Amino acid sequence: MHKCECEQPLVPVIVEVVDIKDETPDIKSFFVKNPGGQGLPFNVAPGQCAMVSYLPVGESMISCTWQEEQEYLQFAIKRVGLMTDELHQIEVGQKIGLRGPYGNGFPVEACKGKDMLFIAGGIGLAPLRSFIKYCFKHREDYGKIKIIYGSRSYADLCFKEELFELWPQQKNTEVFVTIDSAEEVWKGHVGFVPSYLEELNPSPNGVVAVTCGPPIMIKFVLGSLEKMGYTDEQVITTLEMRMKCGIGKCGRCNIGSEYICLDGPVFYLSQLRDLPQEW
Amino acid sequence: MKVLSKAKLETALNKLNQGAEVFLPMQKAQESGFYSWKLFQQGQDELMLDALNVYLPPKHVVLPQTERMYSIKLEGQDMKIEQTFEDASPRVIFGARPCDIKAILCMDEVFLTRGYEDSFYKCRREAITIVANACYQPGPACFCNAMEVNPVEPAGADIIIRDAGEAYVWETKTPKGEALTSQIAEFLEEKSLALPVAQPFIQDVKYEGTAEKLKKMFADHIWAKLGEACHNCGICTYVCPSCYCFDIQVKMWGDEGYRFRCWDSCMYEEYSREAGGGNPRGDGIERFRNRFLHKLEFFKERYGTPLCTGCGRCIVACPAGINIVKIIDEIKEAELHA
Repeated sequence: MHKCECEQPLVPVIVEVVDIKDETPDIKSFFVKNPGGQGLPFNVAPGQCAMVSYLPVGESMISCTWQEEQEYLQFAIKRVGLMTDELHQIEVGQKIGLRGPYGNGFPVEACKGKDMLFIAGGIGLAPLRSFIKYCFKHREDYGKIKIIYGSRSYADLCFKEELFELWPQQKNTEVFVTIDSAEEVWKGHVGFVPSYLEELNPSPNGVVAVTCGPPIMIKFVLGSLEKMGYTDEQVITTLEMRMKCGIGKCGRCNIGSEYICLDGPVFYLSQLRDLPQEW
Repeated sequence: MKVLSKAKLETALNKLNQGAEVFLPMQKAQESGFYSWKLFQQGQDELMLDALNVYLPPKHVVLPQTERMYSIKLEGQDMKIEQTFEDASPRVIFGARPCDIKAILCMDEVFLTRGYEDSFYKCRREAITIVANACYQPGPACFCNAMEVNPVEPAGADIIIRDAGEAYVWETKTPKGEALTSQIAEFLEEKSLALPVAQPFIQDVKYEGTAEKLKKMFADHIWAKLGEACHNCGICTYVCPSCYCFDIQVKMWGDEGYRFRCWDSCMYEEYSREAGGGNPRGDGIERFRNRFLHKLEFFKERYGTPLCTGCGRCIVACPAGINIVKIIDEIKEAELHA
């Protein structure tokens, strides 16, 4: 058999899970770095993804929720299928496969000087969090920051410490949290994200809105933003579909002639308007 | 001109077979496709170089139906990838028709451009030499001329052979082709033979303008009608020379196993079904539409050429009588609803 000298984009590198944190009853954060604890296999920009591979079971495309310098890559993963089920069983020290980084990431440069409005639902906060934390890290480059986030219940809210303590303390930052239906423990807002957004009615002047969540939430949020006067060039979303290769070859994550894994996952609404309405 | 006498063909193939695995069109029992010359059984199998298109195209030579990618070994909490399986053994596709070669050129675009080179595809592909069999007599299902294929002067061939009756006229096009020609130089003769005359196409297909029109037809009602008979069985994707979509799966025996990829089909519900249960193309008609748009519009937008090469195999294979030529016609004739 010929020994290949070329780059092998479909072959994962092995990384070590150095920490695991329960975020919600069905979401865990996995912190990974090179085996033995020396640095990272690659850098991941805000909004980019990686194929996380529990080798004997499968691979899933997961948005990297944060890269902390050369310390760790963090993936917040919801238990929904075969691979993620297995991943939720592992313990610290486990080696897993990882390949990437994939996708275009958020336009962090183009958004400099703007006020930022982040709107997320459920696990949809995970990809947005990489942009939110990037803004806080480069706080002077961005204007006011508003974060609107909702989940089914209080227990299902992800990244609670940041939501309720760390982010509201940041300069010029407001965090609005809602849950779908009332609970005794919850004193905050109750209702779906799109209606909360309309209630808050943030002005579109000088703002870029970034949204991610369940497809149905994204659809309603886009409608609300349009009603509130946001133009298609002011609205960014990050999409997801089933993926296998992650590099624009295997075929399945297309919207029209674009592949979410390669040409996305981040799109301006103005770009999506040109594509078939299949997202 | 150089010619290879048909009487010397099998000896020449035996010679080529010493340095490479040679795939060529043959009939094996009830099946016809591109099989290895090693598997040819004298007296039982039949060489099909004279046939226009055998039932199955040679795409498995560039993209195997299943292909091991890398080994997996588990040891406690450790996971290892000890070996990857890129395969660059020399192969020859002998007697491929221009439509099938165009399909390989389409796959080259997918696997070798747009930011990433697929190492498994690249290693294999670079070691493949293509001997094209130029077409002069189009068949009833052929329409390659409408799909940017030149049946007489095919692009992408390392060597072109032309059937001149008693012999094949042998034209070497590339350095790879020269290397192959030199291996069988002893069987080639200098001779002047009359080339066949290209016959007109039986079908008249007008693809030009289809991609542009389809851009406005995603939400059109026409898809429900066009796809009504489709069972989403996937045979069209299986026999198609250019359908390349693949799945990546794993096979484990206890602590050892391997990851492999295999052909997939956009006709199947699982193809785009997500772990959480969602599916952007959960309906059969949506998958039907996506396949034809991929063939006729999306691929053209992305890579500048359609992903249908006019071989006609899907027309022959479809149990529901779906005919891509009729679909192109109906699209061209359709009135646009604003």
